[in-house]
Amino acid sequence: MDINNGALVRLVDVHKVYKTGEMEVRAVCGVSLEIKRGEFVALMGASGSGKSTLMNILGCLDRPTSGSYFLDDADVSGLDRDQLADIRNRKIGFVFQNFNLLPRTSARENAELPLVYSTQHLSHAQLRERADRVLASVGLAGREDHHPSQLSGGQQQRVAIARALINEPEILLADEPTGNLDSRTSVEIMGIFQQLNESGITIIMVTHEQDIAAYAQRSVMMRDGVILEDHAVSKRTTAATQLQNGRARPNTTRPGEGAPEPASTLQ
Amino acid sequence: MRSVLTALGIIIGVGAVIAMVGIGNGAKAQVEAQIASLGENVILIFSGSTTASGIRTGWGGAGTLKIEDAEAIRREVPGVIGVSEEVVSTTQVAAGNQNWFTRIFGESADYFDIRQWPLADGAPFTAQDVRSANKVCVIGRTTATQIYGNESPIGQILRIKNVPFTITGVLTPKGLSPQGVDQDDIVVMPYTSAMKRVIGGTTLRNMNVQMGDPGQIASAQQQIISLLRQRHNIRPGRDDDFTVRTQQEIAEAATATSRVMTVLLGAIAGVSLVVGGIGIMNIMLVSVTERTREIGVRMAVGAHGIDILTQFLIEAVTLSSVGGLIGIICGIGASRILSIYAHWPTLISISSIAIAFLFSAAVGVFFGFYPARKAAALDPIEALRYE
Repeated sequence: MDINNGALVRLVDVHKVYKTGEMEVRAVCGVSLEIKRGEFVALMGASGSGKSTLMNILGCLDRPTSGSYFLDDADVSGLDRDQLADIRNRKIGFVFQNFNLLPRTSARENAELPLVYSTQHLSHAQLRERADRVLASVGLAGREDHHPSQLSGGQQQRVAIARALINEPEILLADEPTGNLDSRTSVEIMGIFQQLNESGITIIMVTHEQDIAAYAQRSVMMRDGVILEDHAVSKRTTAATQLQNGRARPNTTRPGEGAPEPASTLQ
Repeated sequence: MRSVLTALGIIIGVGAVIAMVGIGNGAKAQVEAQIASLGENVILIFSGSTTASGIRTGWGGAGTLKIEDAEAIRREVPGVIGVSEEVVSTTQVAAGNQNWFTRIFGESADYFDIRQWPLADGAPFTAQDVRSANKVCVIGRTTATQIYGNESPIGQILRIKNVPFTITGVLTPKGLSPQGVDQDDIVVMPYTSAMKRVIGGTTLRNMNVQMGDPGQIASAQQQIISLLRQRHNIRPGRDDDFTVRTQQEIAEAATATSRVMTVLLGAIAGVSLVVGGIGIMNIMLVSVTERTREIGVRMAVGAHGIDILTQFLIEAVTLSSVGGLIGIICGIGASRILSIYAHWPTLISISSIAIAFLFSAAVGVFFGFYPARKAAALDPIEALRYE
């Protein structure tokens, strides 16, 4: 029964109200949104526009106060904590602005993390094999045993992407993925995103930067808890071309930032 | 480093428990061994404790026990397998050009069986020796060494109050008594010989009565009391002129003291375990706060509350168990050192080690549960946003 009409994500009149004492904060007020399988959507808006709250709902970290959320044909708006955790584990990969890697833990172990909480029980060797494969796919072959403190920001974000991909999720949710990166590394990360998207993964990316949003296919703009604009990106930027032309924004590379990794290591 | 400091509370707690209980058990075992050396299933009857003239004399003080009393007990109390009449004195003994001040014990031939005191060399005196008041004796190791050095005393003549006694055997060494008396500094002879030839007098200081069946001790005690009251013509309502104690009563009195000590020391050590547990709770709470983001990430990638709870509980239990293990090693070491340098007897039982270890693990579970539950109850969004 395909109630979503081919859409992977369908939000129907979603509201989210926070109560702090007497005050009621209406973070999201009636958002309806459909995202099809294989789309690359940029979710934009100023801070306080409700985009983070919407992102949390999309990521099954939070439940809407009212309205429905259908993910992959299943209504997830009424699930409890543990059921949501299972959905996150199976269907959603998270990439955060500040990477959120576990310190003093190798890149491989960081990437393995979702599998540890997976319902499928894999052997130690299988975990390792899958982590190494996904790390290689984001261009980190040979750095499996490095700890986050030994990696550059771009490399750390690649580890985070590997972690998000390891359980082969339906959706990759990225919250300001380039917010802590310099422009050149940002382009590389966008390159990875575009290649992942071409290979069929749906990507939803929260950003407030217009030029980062330009890497997506579709741009959704929010303000005051409602969707203001929703349109296809007209002049789409391609990371590969950017890197070839060397037309990245004025270089703000941090000291110690290594030579850029080739972004085109995905199959 | 911080974990080590945290575990230190548990290390000290467990170490103290092990050492304290070891010392307590050691003292208890020593006392029990001494009591057991009195013999098995023994009832002791002391003369004295009389108030005939308003003056209460101590045990063995008033000569109220007669040889005939012992004979009557042998004859009339069922279950008695041995009676040893006992008279005690101290005197100078001499042989050749050596002399020595020692204790003289006059006993019956049953004495060596009752006290479970075999001879190292030679033979004990016999019931015939007792009947005939023969001039024979058995000496302890200390007395033997003091007078004869390395020579064998068997068959030698020992002069006691200028009466020549033939030595028939040497007792196995027993060491010091709980009161610090050298039990091997002794001459044992038939009580008849002691009364007639050495000490004089016709009354016994005490009797050791051995029962064949421990279940008969209580009834035998009552029978002995009524038998002796009857023989001594004590009217109802008047105090006994003798005292009957079972070995059990003496053992209980002696071990009660050491048991109180063990409980007391154990309680002090237990308090330090609790303090150690609070230390663990503290560090786990700090750890949960510090690792809020990590908890958020784990939840975001699919960890259930129970996964987080288990993780932090395991950490707390690991911390306390490792502390417990080190504490056990420290405790064993401490009691070894005490027994070597302070000459305190210590006894470390497997059960005390097991209990201490399980208790330290339980401390981890108990004091780790609250922080772990706090971690598991975190909201993933809040946790991810935590700086």
